[in-house]
Amino acid sequence: MFLINDLIALLAANLILSQALGTSTIFIAAGSRKNLVATAGVITIFTTVGSAAAYLIDLILQPSVSDLRLLFYTIVIGVLYAALLAAVYKFGNRWFEDLRRYIHLSAFNCAVMGTLFTINKRAAMDGTMFNLGGYVSAGFEAGIGFIIAALILTAAYRKLNSSKVPASFRGFPAMLVYLGIISMAVYSLK
Amino acid sequence: MNDRKKAVLGGVLGDNIVLSGLMVISPVIICGDTLKNAEALIYAFSAITFLSVLISSFVPKKLPYTVKVIIYALISALVYIPVKLAAKEFYPESIERIGIYYPLLAVNSLIVFQTEAKFFRMKKTDMIISLISCIAGFDIVMLLTGFLRELFAYGTINSRIVDVNTLIGGLSQPFGGFIFLGLMCGAYRFIRGLVSGNNNVRSDADVSDK
Repeated sequence: MFLINDLIALLAANLILSQALGTSTIFIAAGSRKNLVATAGVITIFTTVGSAAAYLIDLILQPSVSDLRLLFYTIVIGVLYAALLAAVYKFGNRWFEDLRRYIHLSAFNCAVMGTLFTINKRAAMDGTMFNLGGYVSAGFEAGIGFIIAALILTAAYRKLNSSKVPASFRGFPAMLVYLGIISMAVYSLK
Repeated sequence: MNDRKKAVLGGVLGDNIVLSGLMVISPVIICGDTLKNAEALIYAFSAITFLSVLISSFVPKKLPYTVKVIIYALISALVYIPVKLAAKEFYPESIERIGIYYPLLAVNSLIVFQTEAKFFRMKKTDMIISLISCIAGFDIVMLLTGFLRELFAYGTINSRIVDVNTLIGGLSQPFGGFIFLGLMCGAYRFIRGLVSGNNNVRSDADVSDK
């Protein structure tokens, strides 16, 4: 029962299905198992580590200069982006050529940046969340949410791209409608 | 239309960034439910994208790809500050409603990735025309989405009540945005297929990976 409750909570708070964050990235992730694993993994790293850094920024940044938040978040993601590329190059040189595409794809997109801003917004509304653990777990949760949404899309990916779907609606349009229907189901869980 | 014209003006109809490239779709899905929101997003997207790409075009091309991408993102984050301050004066209510999607406009893939993949491979004049056409493509879709969703979800046009018999409340919700955009994408492809005589159209939007 606890597991079901957790799953429902995870779905209801899913940033893709409820806030459309990272929708175009998920279309690429759902394309193949390799894309799914690599994109979801890299996005989870970005959201989790990025959230920890975002906590420090939110701790220091005064409300009067909150418009600078995007600049600081961008610096954090930029550093993380370069560090991740360097780490993969140094420790996983064999996979560098394969992995760098996913790192480029995942660094500056709505899924990552939107997660940081969403966590900041939630923490501003709920003071109990304003701590390092709260930020990191929310960032990790967002990454898991991305994986769940990508899995849901992967399940129907081939059918939505099959020749049975009219050419105009094949692919992206059908996937958007499909995500809309799933989002409607998730909306009813709230 | 020859290839150069296609590359320069294709952003509006031939290769619309939202309907074909599926870029910047989150604000369209979530916030594109009223004309006022649409206006505020159009202003922000146009100003941030145009200025950021223009300034980014002066970044030395010899720098490594990753460094350039980070610099482009930083430039747009800097451009965002005065744009947001001005928006607080012009669209105070919409800013509140748009929330986190406002800063997200500054990290759109048109600025961060398409600059390298598309714009900086063109001559300066062509780049500016192509950029304006891409921005206009987004603006048209945003305006149309805001107008239709407001009309059918709330029965109003720019907050003025109009006589609409059937209201679809779900259109104002995120799932309504997904479905509406999916249908618009399909209709756009169908029309594009009719015009070009080729209905087997697929998006070529992807991330540049140098």
